[in-house]
Amino acid sequence: MNPFDLGGPEFLLLYFCFSLIVILAIAILRRRAESGPAPKIDLGDPYLVAYLRGGEDEALRVAVISLVDRGLLAMDDQIISRADHVTSDMVKHPIEYEVLKKFGDPGEAPSIFKDDDLKSLIRPYRDKLERAGLMPDAAVRRDRLMRLLLALMALGVVGVIKIVIGLSRERPVGFLVVMMIAAMVIALVSSFPRLTARGKATLADITNLYSGLRTRVNSFSPGSASAELAMFAAVFGVTALATTPFGYAQTLFPRATSSSSCGSSCGSFDSSSSCGSSDGGSSCGGSSDGGSSCGGSSDGGSSCGGGGCGGCGSS
Amino acid sequence: MKFKSAGKNTIRDRVGLGWRRELAVGILSHLDRIDVVEVIADDLFDAPRDERRALRTLAAQTTVVLHGVSLGMASSVPVDAKLLEKTARLCEEVEPEYWSEHLAFVRGGGVEIGHLTAPPRTDATIEGAAANLERARAVVGAAPLVENIATLIDPPGSDYDEIDWINRIIDSSPGDLLLDLHNLHANATNFGYDAAEFLKRLPSERIAAAHLAGGKWVEALGERRLLDDHLHDVPDAVYQLLTELAAIVPNPLTVILERDGAYPPIETLLRQLDCAREALAEGRSRQFERMEKEAA
Repeated sequence: MNPFDLGGPEFLLLYFCFSLIVILAIAILRRRAESGPAPKIDLGDPYLVAYLRGGEDEALRVAVISLVDRGLLAMDDQIISRADHVTSDMVKHPIEYEVLKKFGDPGEAPSIFKDDDLKSLIRPYRDKLERAGLMPDAAVRRDRLMRLLLALMALGVVGVIKIVIGLSRERPVGFLVVMMIAAMVIALVSSFPRLTARGKATLADITNLYSGLRTRVNSFSPGSASAELAMFAAVFGVTALATTPFGYAQTLFPRATSSSSCGSSCGSFDSSSSCGSSDGGSSCGGSSDGGSSCGGSSDGGSSCGGGGCGGCGSS
Repeated sequence: MKFKSAGKNTIRDRVGLGWRRELAVGILSHLDRIDVVEVIADDLFDAPRDERRALRTLAAQTTVVLHGVSLGMASSVPVDAKLLEKTARLCEEVEPEYWSEHLAFVRGGGVEIGHLTAPPRTDATIEGAAANLERARAVVGAAPLVENIATLIDPPGSDYDEIDWINRIIDSSPGDLLLDLHNLHANATNFGYDAAEFLKRLPSERIAAAHLAGGKWVEALGERRLLDDHLHDVPDAVYQLLTELAAIVPNPLTVILERDGAYPPIETLLRQLDCAREALAEGRSRQFERMEKEAA
């Protein structure tokens, strides 16, 4: 039986299923093409992680939060400025240096998003992530476009043939036109996610590896754990700091709202951090009260705080 | 299962740290100073798939080894088949360079002790350990390195002293030795023997890795005992043992610093790794000098 001879409702149902298959097919093909093992990247760089999760604006937000926490930027409500005692040798990272330079003239924190010098410093992160296969490079974008064009062609040809037949038979075609346009729009929107499948998986893994920070962030006091605070903001988003001792982050960036894959012009949030994991760190089973070699208890008030290694004593 | 090649006779000594979520930022920010990361296998047996997959991303950044704590190898009771299967599955997923377990018993008569316990040092536990290690090798695909444990009491009913018991197990099983130097130091201190002499009586060519840790003094059974608690810095005596070890072991060593709580700043732990490197270098230098003298 010729499917184009089906009645209106029956054909609409068939076209709906066909559209679903086409959209799913391009998603599966994209996922297959863009998947791969986790690459070796610098997971200790909060700006790289922030860029992966939320784009260049997010990396800049993390830089500002980190500098405020370290006392290198002073904050007066929403206006921030370089602290008086700061010298250029107090930071090593070029992004931090440039942020400090910019806030030699006090201003609102979001003004950094319009700073071309900062943007040019951040941009190499994108190149790194593209080379690692975590963000789409030109070849991946071309492949995505090709798949989208094929999908649009399939949806269009089938839809247009039926529309022509329907018009020739003086039947209503409005629903089919609407459905065809909707299917094409969905195919278009779903074809160009910000991250590759590999990037999405790696981001989930990074979130997982750092999941212990979620339970510990409330125990940080300002300035005491700046590296961890920066990584927390990078992994979980600046807005995740709202309910922590670092709630000022939201004052600085009030428009940082929930979204995770909307590119660099919008806010960030930790919606990408859903790969929950057990927290609480090590629990290596053995107890520490009887000479076991794999303690695991953390009850023991250590007196070794910053103690060094006692001169190594190996001679 | 697949294990990444250790490239045994070509790799230099390596120094690393036990993976703990509390140390994640410190570890991942200093991989230039951390050669290898040891992950507790048992934490991941029943973990969500995402969590285990994240470990592969960690393994893409650095060398990962797995350390088990719940199999109970040194027992006349066969090791739990389900736990072995879980270990095998995890090794399959993570592809560690090696995996390790303790020469301890952790259960009996269906009761979990929840603790690494020194078994009576008898022929029965030697044979049980050898059988368990062979079973582990068959299921997982590679034999584990086996680790000596610390104990506050000399196991009652023993027919062998610790060194003879360990040597007999190593002789009759496929796995090499992961020598916990703080456990050795604690046992030697608590039971009055010479740890350096103990080292010399081990088969040096079968020692592949070492653990470093710290401990504290406690009162036990009316006596003062040194407890291995992993909550304190590595004492000098342990670095000295590491030097002694490096002076006699012919193969490259993987040395892991274990810390389970009361975490100091990462710099403190990194300094302890530097100390371990210095201790290793000195031991290697002694070994080299000795070999040169022998050659001359």
